[in-house]
This record gives sequence, structure tokens and C-alpha cells, in this order.
Amino acid sequence: MNVNSNCLEREQIFSHASKMLDARKENEVRAHLESCAACRAIAAEFDKLDAVLDAWRPAEPSPGFDARVRAAVTASDSAKPRLFGIHWSQFVAPACLVVLVVVATLVVFERRRPAASRTTAYPTAGQAAPPPKQGSALPAQASAPADENELSLYQNLPVLEDYDMLANFDVLSELPKGEKKIAN
Amino acid sequence: MAVDSDLELMLRVRRGDAESFEVLLRSYRAPLVGFFARMVRDPALAEDLAQEVFLRVYRARHRYTADARFTTWLYRIATNLALNAIRDRKGSAARAEAAGEVGESEADRVPDPNPTVEQRLMLSERERMIRRAIEGLPENQCAAVILHKYQGVDYLQISKVLGVSESAVKSLLFRAYENLRARLEPLLKEGQL
Repeated sequence: MNVNSNCLEREQIFSHASKMLDARKENEVRAHLESCAACRAIAAEFDKLDAVLDAWRPAEPSPGFDARVRAAVTASDSAKPRLFGIHWSQFVAPACLVVLVVVATLVVFERRRPAASRTTAYPTAGQAAPPPKQGSALPAQASAPADENELSLYQNLPVLEDYDMLANFDVLSELPKGEKKIAN
Repeated sequence: MAVDSDLELMLRVRRGDAESFEVLLRSYRAPLVGFFARMVRDPALAEDLAQEVFLRVYRARHRYTADARFTTWLYRIATNLALNAIRDRKGSAARAEAAGEVGESEADRVPDPNPTVEQRLMLSERERMIRRAIEGLPENQCAAVILHKYQGVDYLQISKVLGVSESAVKSLLFRAYENLRARLEPLLKEGQL
């Protein structure tokens, strides 16, 4: 057996035997194999191994295999919820798009509204606010100016005679003491 | 392997053509059952896994895009299932061993507890040796050899199936065949072909 000093690497010979080389490399390897018995012997080993491996025969599917696959596919189809014959997953993208458009529209609309219309209109100092309805739960900020107006109304009441009633009148008890005009 | 027609068939399946799915089933049932039988050694489990591949293909039909060969996609699903099944089995075997259950080794275990006469004949000594040699390879080498040698998948596709580079596949296959050459030396020397 002639051993060439430029012998190919085993991996290169394997790549040739397995047809994994590009055209240029394949030509180079073929040319070398023609002149090198040692490399040809290695290539023959790989060919022989390939032939030996053919002895492992494949298993065949059993006769009922197709029927089982069809049954599994049918079961899979019927298990998934459908609307008008369309799979639910086909609704996801359009539904997300609609939600996105609605949210974006609301945001843009809210930003374009005039500032005055976005805030609650409080009564001015000269206006008398109507007394709050019983049981109404107004926010603290909104009820503060209304309370001041209410107090000014009570301050201008005519002098009352019934001290007991006045003493028990909650709103008047909150007035500054020096400004009370109570006749004894 | 009709590459373009398989891809076209799958695109038709995506559009709801049940007949195209039947064609794919008929084309790939034998290769897939054969692939799994070699990978997991258990004929019943091989059929279950092959069925699972078809089910996954069908379920994923709406998401299928024609950016890769159909067989690449099919064998990627199949290889992942096979490797998971092997890992599960190894885990179960390790747990059984830890629990003190005495059993025969993985390589000696006959897949079917009640093999038919035909199956007994198929498990000839030579075939058993080859099976043991391939099963004794590391997971990736085993999958690469089965895909390359028995499923006819080229190394470019194998690289996509296993998620490694082309050069890594070449190296993987070379190491695998070198291992097999050493393990099957008696068969190679005797010239039993």
C-alpha cells in the first residue's frame, strides 16, 4: 500500500464518502484517491460501514396508524372553540386592533377637549352655591367653596332670640367667636 | 422526496384542505414511525410519537410559513419529541435504579415485551449489534446518524433540525461514524454484508 506524504485527513475522506464536499474539494479528493492506496482504503472502510448499517431495517406503521391519527386530528378540531366556523385564534388580531383604535381615539379626544370643559365649574365668590343634597358624596375639594358661601349666609342672619337653639346650631359654632352677634 | 410539492401541500392544509393532509400523512407515516422506532426502540411509543408529530403539524397549520423545507420542519418537531422521550426514559431508568429495582441494561432491553415471530426474526444478531452501536452514541450523534443514514436528510437540513452550524454537523457525523466503525469492527472485519 503506497502511503502518500500528502495523505488526506480522515474527516475529509469521510466528507467525500458522505457526499458533503463542494465541487472544488470533491475534485481535489478524487484526484488524490486515484494516486493514494492508503486513502482509498480509508474511503472503502467508510463505504463498508455504510453498507453494514443498511442491515438495520425500518419498522413499519401498524395497520391502524392512519385511523388513530385521523381520530386525534378530529378530536383536536372538536376540542377547540369556534365561532361561525372560524377558529378563535383568527379573532385575536382583529380584536386587539379594534381595542387599540378605540383607546387611541379616546386618548386623542380627551387631549383635544378644552381645559375648561375638563374641570368642574366651581361657583365664584359672589355666587351662592346651592346647599348640598343629603346623602350626596361630593369630593372634598368641590365642597370647600360651597361651605364658605353657606357660612356667609348664616353670618348675615338676623339676630335670633332662642339661645339654646343657636348654641346647638353646628354651623354657627364654627364661626369666629368675635363675629357672633348673639343677643343675651 | 418531493420538496416543493410537500410545501405546497402544507400550504393547502393551512387553507383548510383536508385531502392534502391525508397525502402528507400517507407520505410520511412510514418514515416517521421508522425514525422514532430507531430513536426510542419502543414500537408502541414510536407510533404514539409519530401520531403526535402529525397532530402538531395539523395544529400549527395556521402558523406555517414556507420559509423552510417541509421535511426540515417535520424532522425538527420529530427530533425534539424523540430526544425528550429518550431523556424521560433515561430519567425513569435512573429513578428505578435509585429505587433499587433491578432490570436489564438499556442496550439489552428488548423493546416489545411480547415480540412477534416476525419481530424476533428482524432482531437478528447483526441488526442488534448495529442498533446497540447507534443507541450507544451520544444523543446528538445518534439523531444525526439516523437522520443522515436512514431518513436521507442532507447535512444542511440536519444543521437546521438540530440547530447547529453546517460545519458542526459535518464534525458531528464524522465523530459518530468513527465511533460506529470502532463499535462495529467485528462486522467490518468479517465482511458480513
